[in-house]
Amino acid sequence: MSVTREFSADQKQLIISIKGKFDFSLVQEFRQAYSHIGDSEPLVIIDLRETEYLDSSALGMLLNMRKSLGSTVKGIHLINARPEVKRILDISRFEKMFTIA
Amino acid sequence: MKVLVVDDQKANQIMLTGLLESFGHEVVCANNGREALDAFEQVQPQLVLLDVMMPEMDGFETAPRLKAMSGNIHLPIIFLTALDSQETLLECLKVGGDDFLSIPFEPVILQAKVNAHARVRELSYSLVQKNRTLAWHSARMEREQNVVQHMLENALAENQLQQPFVKSYLRPTSSFNGDVCLGRVGPFGNYYLFLGDFTGHGLAPATGALPVAQAFFSMAERGLSVGDMVTEFNSRLYKVLPDDMFCAALVVEMSANGDRISCWSGGVPDALLLDTQGQLEHRIKPQHMALGILPRAQFNSQLEHYFVTPGQRLVMFSDGVVEACNHQGEMIGEERFADWVTEMLDSECSEAQFSAIVERIDSFTGDTPLNDDLSLLCLKCQATGLEPQAKPQNEYNLPFELRVVLTEHDIRNRDPMQRMVDSLAKLDALQPHKTSLYLLFAESFNNLLEHSVLDMQSELKQQESFERYYEERQSRIEQLQGLEIYFDIDYHPTSQQLSFTLSSNTEHRFDGKHAGNSANESEDTFGRGINLITQVADEVEWRDGGSLLYVRYSLSRPLA
Repeated sequence: MSVTREFSADQKQLIISIKGKFDFSLVQEFRQAYSHIGDSEPLVIIDLRETEYLDSSALGMLLNMRKSLGSTVKGIHLINARPEVKRILDISRFEKMFTIA
Repeated sequence: MKVLVVDDQKANQIMLTGLLESFGHEVVCANNGREALDAFEQVQPQLVLLDVMMPEMDGFETAPRLKAMSGNIHLPIIFLTALDSQETLLECLKVGGDDFLSIPFEPVILQAKVNAHARVRELSYSLVQKNRTLAWHSARMEREQNVVQHMLENALAENQLQQPFVKSYLRPTSSFNGDVCLGRVGPFGNYYLFLGDFTGHGLAPATGALPVAQAFFSMAERGLSVGDMVTEFNSRLYKVLPDDMFCAALVVEMSANGDRISCWSGGVPDALLLDTQGQLEHRIKPQHMALGILPRAQFNSQLEHYFVTPGQRLVMFSDGVVEACNHQGEMIGEERFADWVTEMLDSECSEAQFSAIVERIDSFTGDTPLNDDLSLLCLKCQATGLEPQAKPQNEYNLPFELRVVLTEHDIRNRDPMQRMVDSLAKLDALQPHKTSLYLLFAESFNNLLEHSVLDMQSELKQQESFERYYEERQSRIEQLQGLEIYFDIDYHPTSQQLSFTLSSNTEHRFDGKHAGNSANESEDTFGRGINLITQVADEVEWRDGGSLLYVRYSLSRPLA
């Protein structure tokens, strides 16, 4: 599984991890990972620690997620980006739309 | 049995020799103490019949010398005496005599006494042999323990527990600790801690620590999640540990900026998360069974995540701490220990404060012996200040030029760009740049493919039609025929440059407008590709009237 989804024990955080390559081939898996989140207004955490490859379609998918979740979540954090991944997020000015930690 | 008869009277010698030989013993005679001592080495007697009154050296002087010559092995000495005075007998005992025989005697008495002392001698001899064996085994055991100790120390040499934000205290009950405390820096400047408590203590649990430590270090180095780590630890321990052994554990990851803690807790006492004022904010209760009990399918790797602020602390400990007893058999207990912690630690979490807690434990237990290993860890939440670690590189690489020709067969159902970058990244010098190289290759390739070959409109990538765009893309790929896409890759190790050109056998050209080129800060979900290429690369150029894309990337640029 390249996309895994897990709620934290207290249900307050939804952690989605993307392993390996993040691109349009994951479009459905990724959309499913953030669907049916209930009405607990969780914080969505995208864990990029094992994301080695990504391209502009991945960035598009992240933006799609943001539009689609809107105010049903407390926020979206992109965490554990490797330096190279971080640079790509920075170039795309993603810190204006996501919390990058 | 070999008997030394020491008597100056020939008649006695003959009589005793005759009798002893008839009982089946081997006899050597000496005429006095001096001769007896001289004969001892050569004869190696197992029993001595010793006359008291003799010229040269009498029995009283001879007995202790013979005993000394026999060393560790008991040499029974039976005094032959015609005198029955109390003093003589006492003197015989004093000089080491084991028994007496008054002449004359009944032969059966001699037989009984010799047999009885032969048994004692035999016992002593076998005891000495066994002691020798025991000493050999003990030396061997010690040598092997030293080897295991050495292996453990080597395996734990990668331990990175010494950090300004970590305080640790470990007190094993034996030379091998059943508790294991490990720390390791991750690749994002994040930090991992492992607190493990194996059932029992001594050699066996210490051996169990080996596979866990190895997995911990290598997984931390790769920056894997705590959930993946514990799943692996559990599988390894489930395989190697006997049924009655397991490892209670708490595994923690702190993010590089110290604002987030993720943990998995199985079978250890509640860890204490303190707020910045040093008050107890949360008890992290064990949510799971200890490691090594459940098979993989039943194992639960769910984590708990906490957002924390600098100055908060996480205090973790093995049950050896809260179960340590004072001389009345009263345990410290979780409540009392939590009180100590909140009382003695403030946001500074200094060495002195930590030592004060350790001293409190020591003064509570006094000289009551520990019955379990004791581990205490304190993690201070703060930015780790740890730089992502670069792997040492092999500086020497050969330059190369590489032409890759892709046809529609290579494009269908596969990602040729990932394959290309996976291969290139096998070079040490390119490996740290694989994400950027993939981005450049993939964006250039997709741009050429989607806009020049497939004639797609990137505006199609709107919210609703994002997936439709890729379906359309795939169906157009299926119809392709006779396509050739050329990648010409050029690597210069001396100038640390990697450049490539991309072109195809189609007539279409790269077209900036067509490809979409929206501004940086747009929230559009499309049109970022070209923008990303120009910013990630050091030089981008459309050549030959737009039919060839040239991209140059400098490998000397810092990654972060």
